Amino acid sequence: MTQSGAGADSKRIAISLTGIKPGTSAEDLVAALQRIFPRETAEQIRGALARLPLLLTRSASEQQAKKVKGFLESKGAVLRLARAAVSTESAPLPSKAKSPSTAATAPREPEMVREAAASQMDQPYIGVERRAKPRVHPGISVHPMGIGEILDRSFRLLRQHFLLFFFILLIPQGIFFAFKKTSHMLFGIDIQQGATASMGMGLLVSVILVVFIMLIIQFWAQGALVYAVSETYLGHKTSVGASYGAMRSRLGRLLGTMIIMGILLGLLGVVIIFLSGMIVGALGSAGGLSGLVGFIVVCTAGAAIFFHFFLNWLLVDKVVVLEDQAWFGALRRSTQLMKSRTEPGFWKRPKNKAGLILFLGFLIGVGIHLLFQLPGVLTRIFLPMSLGGLTLTLQQVLNVIATSLAAAFAAIAMILFYYDIRLRSEGFDLKAMAEHL
Amino acid sequence: METAKETLKVQTPEHVGFRYVLAGLGTRSTAFLLDTVVRGLFILFIFLVVVLLARWLPEFDPSGLLKAIPKTWFFALGVLAYGVVDLGYFLIFEALWGGQTPGKRMQKLRVIRVNGQPIGWLESSIRNILRAVDILLGFYPLGLFVMFLSSRSQRIGDYAAGTVVIVERRRNVPMDKSRLRSTSKLNLPDVELHVSTLEPKQYQVIRSFLQRREAMNPTHRRELARLLTHRLMKKWGISSTVHIPDESFLEEIVGIYERTRKAI
Repeated sequence: MTQSGAGADSKRIAISLTGIKPGTSAEDLVAALQRIFPRETAEQIRGALARLPLLLTRSASEQQAKKVKGFLESKGAVLRLARAAVSTESAPLPSKAKSPSTAATAPREPEMVREAAASQMDQPYIGVERRAKPRVHPGISVHPMGIGEILDRSFRLLRQHFLLFFFILLIPQGIFFAFKKTSHMLFGIDIQQGATASMGMGLLVSVILVVFIMLIIQFWAQGALVYAVSETYLGHKTSVGASYGAMRSRLGRLLGTMIIMGILLGLLGVVIIFLSGMIVGALGSAGGLSGLVGFIVVCTAGAAIFFHFFLNWLLVDKVVVLEDQAWFGALRRSTQLMKSRTEPGFWKRPKNKAGLILFLGFLIGVGIHLLFQLPGVLTRIFLPMSLGGLTLTLQQVLNVIATSLAAAFAAIAMILFYYDIRLRSEGFDLKAMAEHL
Repeated sequence: METAKETLKVQTPEHVGFRYVLAGLGTRSTAFLLDTVVRGLFILFIFLVVVLLARWLPEFDPSGLLKAIPKTWFFALGVLAYGVVDLGYFLIFEALWGGQTPGKRMQKLRVIRVNGQPIGWLESSIRNILRAVDILLGFYPLGLFVMFLSSRSQRIGDYAAGTVVIVERRRNVPMDKSRLRSTSKLNLPDVELHVSTLEPKQYQVIRSFLQRREAMNPTHRRELARLLTHRLMKKWGISSTVHIPDESFLEEIVGIYERTRKAI
């Protein structure tokens, strides 16, 4: 990626933003430009967009121009690229240029904001680590919340955008349900049982393939939900299509990061079980009571270690979707967020708060499941036995709906929890308000 | 657009309006969980008392009357006490504590009538007897469903009794003024005049920052202080070369604002 010297400089490219595609969300484009030009405020960018055409840079390398073009065009910008003659004396472009989505391909000072930035020149900018900055709608209120308030707001968000969240999660559930039914009817295979040796080789490969595709769809939906909740929480509008669309470019990273996390947690679980077995075995040979006590202690310690890591990485999907970080960087960022001491008090530590939210979310989820089991149970009691297949299908459909609802509620609560930590440690609500001061 | 809070507006016959913040599912669930813990402790206490009474009390009775009572009577008494705790916990507490139970009090919730008046024995009885319907099969499935559809987050018991659960207004803890006082005195021309142009909303932003800064990440704290200072200086046309730490500058501004407001 690094380019230097006269050879590279002679291939400098000027990038101009000449228009906006119809139907583009101006906010999305502003946010995209803000990620490329992190020093500029949203107002400055909005002002610049009102005066198109806009020269973004005249000194991008070919690779950078390509990336910026791909990135901005996916957000609805119409760009014009032209070769520009730049003297070799000009400052080199950042050598550590990342992908546009990591917001680090920023060319040197953009023309549109040079004037505005001039006034800030006497005060050097503090090198704040750049994160995807949440775009808070001016009319919306975001503030630090307690556990109860997080759950209250999750419930309200779910009620106000019920169809949006419900359909986002229903899509993978529905596909899975339809496929399960079809495969059961056609081949007599139950996907949930997994691949077995008794299947034919072709069928076995198909089942593995289907499970993998389901995994992709599931994570796609998870990412889309994170995106949709984030947008609505910050006061923006979105749709099922837009949420899934926004995830297209991040799906690979989300999938990869979640698989890494799954593998690490799985390995951790195996190691803990193996060590526990060894310790318990050693203690058991010493005597009955000490073996029992040892078993309890080892199991508790093992569970504590497992949950420690599980809770540390609880925010990974949000980090990937909302901060454009991936792989081990996302795991580290999630750990960093979960370790931040934002409030005094044992129950106000992020990990304990997350545990409580998960527990309450689980109880509410059980309530939702029970509610949706009720019609199935009643139809089983009151309808004749000959309609057993119908009642079973009804029960399964209701189960899919209940799972979508419960999952949506828990996911919304965790996304608001993620924002709550960032609000407390980064004060982005205050930053948004300060920009309008 | 998503709203931060749902409110209930109540107007008295004298045309005085009140606005209550309605409690949602989250705070109510948390309160219920706390109440369940308290109820569990009550029941444990009853169980221990019954066991102790059944074991030791007859031995302290010189008349021998208690020895004649079969032990099953003690357990029957225990079951009765359990029933009273289980059924009467919410009913009695809400009626006697002005619509609060220990869990609700911890979560700062209160049950009131929809017209804003406090609840009595009747309302408490209706909403808590119908709790049995809301909690059908456990975990409040019907209560959840009805609350989901209700604009005031009411469950069946609330609808029948004409009650709502509200969040009590939280009194803000006064800010520690000593933490606001900067060591350096702001020596800028017309600073008081500038501060007088500050709108309450703008003052709130600066004050919120000063209140929340301890919990903030140092880098973001510096950045925000810098941003606020820069904005204010730009707004007031003060040279940005003034050498005063950003946070001290903001502390001075808040101090001057509060002083002048108090004087008015």
